[in-house]
Amino acid sequence: MTAPYPAAALEPEATGPVVLALPKGRILAECGDLLAHAGIHPAADYADEDSRRLRFPTDDPGLDIVRVRPFDVATFVAFGAAHIGVCGADVLMEFDYPELYAPLDLGIGRCRVSVAEPAETALAGDDPARWSRVRVATKYPNIARRHFAQRGVQTDVVHLNGAMELAPGLGLARLIVDLVQTGSTLKANGLVETEVIADVTSRLVVNRTALKTRPEAIGAWIARFRDALAQRAHG
Amino acid sequence: MTDDLPPSPALLPAGLSDLLPPDAENEAASVAALMEVFASHGYERVKPPLLEFEDGLFAGAGAATAEQTFRLMDPESQRMMGLRADTTPQVARIASTRLAAAPRPLRLSYAGQCLRVRGSQLAPDRQIAQAGIELIGPDSPAADAEIVLVGAAALAALGLARVSFDLTLPSLVPLLLEDAGMSGPARAALARALDRKDAHEVARHGGALAPVLTDLLMAAGPADRALGALTEAALPPPARALAERLAATIAALRARAPELRLTVDPVEFRGFRYETGISVTVYAPGRNGELGRGGRYMVNEAEPATGLTLYPDAIIRCCPPRPGRPRCYVPWGAPDDAAARLRRQGFATVASLDPAPQDALAEARRLACTHILRDGAALKLPSETSPLRPPAGGEGGARGEAVGG
Repeated sequence: MTAPYPAAALEPEATGPVVLALPKGRILAECGDLLAHAGIHPAADYADEDSRRLRFPTDDPGLDIVRVRPFDVATFVAFGAAHIGVCGADVLMEFDYPELYAPLDLGIGRCRVSVAEPAETALAGDDPARWSRVRVATKYPNIARRHFAQRGVQTDVVHLNGAMELAPGLGLARLIVDLVQTGSTLKANGLVETEVIADVTSRLVVNRTALKTRPEAIGAWIARFRDALAQRAHG
Repeated sequence: MTDDLPPSPALLPAGLSDLLPPDAENEAASVAALMEVFASHGYERVKPPLLEFEDGLFAGAGAATAEQTFRLMDPESQRMMGLRADTTPQVARIASTRLAAAPRPLRLSYAGQCLRVRGSQLAPDRQIAQAGIELIGPDSPAADAEIVLVGAAALAALGLARVSFDLTLPSLVPLLLEDAGMSGPARAALARALDRKDAHEVARHGGALAPVLTDLLMAAGPADRALGALTEAALPPPARALAERLAATIAALRARAPELRLTVDPVEFRGFRYETGISVTVYAPGRNGELGRGGRYMVNEAEPATGLTLYPDAIIRCCPPRPGRPRCYVPWGAPDDAAARLRRQGFATVASLDPAPQDALAEARRLACTHILRDGAALKLPSETSPLRPPAGGEGGARGEAVGG
């Protein structure tokens, strides 16, 4: 038997605050504007990457914010540690958690997941239709495998957490699959984008069970974010 | 050759676990309490075998469990057998064969273990206890309501009063896609987007259906609001009939249990995918996971049926802890009738097997007893500094966990 969880179900009603998970880094700055439109005012240091605090209260006692790595937002929400979150579509594609719902496209964090390779091999006329396997460096092993499997190509994944752009030049992999925003990092490392796997924006994600068991509270937050999106679009 | 250490003898295959005291007894008692409620509502117990021929197991409603079933070959008949991954298809087989002539409505119950090839991320267990009911014959809102009400009564018997029932229409989405003439990859992409409630992807792949699907997607929640959205949505006639059936079922439930928490998710179509009409999933507030699942299906592709399967493992994790049986230490030579009297009072008696004189009090503590037999009666042990551990120096066999009294 697994060690018991705290017995939250013994409380007469789940009254704890809704926990919103936000991704550290690039997207966090873009979230600020959206949170303001949704009427959420978190503790001032939530956007301060140097703050040691990871959990922040807001002016609404019914909402707390946690700040985690972008990939971990999906995991926190899928397992119900956070109830709602802001998460890139790339992360959703990679983990493919059936417990996550994505009811809103927030339109922030716009970028794409792409295949890139050194300019010289891209131009060399090597026909990808003849490949039976390919070695790919990426932080998205599942996306890469699925993408190449669709065209009948096996993928040997070299799983890296950063600096993918170095891999082809140093002989680690032939291709990379990575997030591309402007393409300037690729260019600086002599790579060209050969294929877009998916366009990416950030989504509001919701835990499936939370939506089922606290439909009023979670539904109200979805509605507030939807209204905030409409406000932002009109003004 | 490497010098890797051999695996620990305690290590079990992924997703399997031992139940120790007091959890194993707690599980058995909880399942018995659920089965008692089922029996008291007229559901008679059946016990299908763990293994049966796969063509029987996967016939009709069972086809959906094929990919989750462990298989082995019967050396006797040279035919393939499957270890059940779900009990409902077995009960359906019984209803359509051995009990084909039994009067309808046929009410059957069962409890047992199932094995699955893979656990899910959220529920990694591969051995799953099930306790459930099947109501075979009637196809009516009253029958749909009955399995929910009996399920609620069974959970209440374990002290779980605040559960919620999420009602779904697994065949609604396929009907809408069919009606719109969607097929192939476009249909697969849209079904997946609906499954993940990804509004952006639904809008992208939905075509003409996108507005109605988005409305239904956003309608998931409290029953009344969702029913309103279903009423307003432009639905083709077969889908309209399903929506009306849902409304009738909710009315039947409200009439008999107005305080029951009901939610509706019109576009959800998960589960073992053999459900054909109204399906239901049981949740506990604050818990990430399902306590049970059920719904309407066809027995042998001919007879309507509905049922509900509860998952005792998940239910026990949500329940208030059950008081353990008080344990009374019986020193060597104590009269047998005194110990028998204590057992009748609900004590577990722990008899000394050692005639040598010893410190009975220390021995009682070492064996995690709460009481000791003194002068023909159970005397509560004086409390100790550390109630969770046996005293230091306890030899092998001392149990680590406390037994509540």
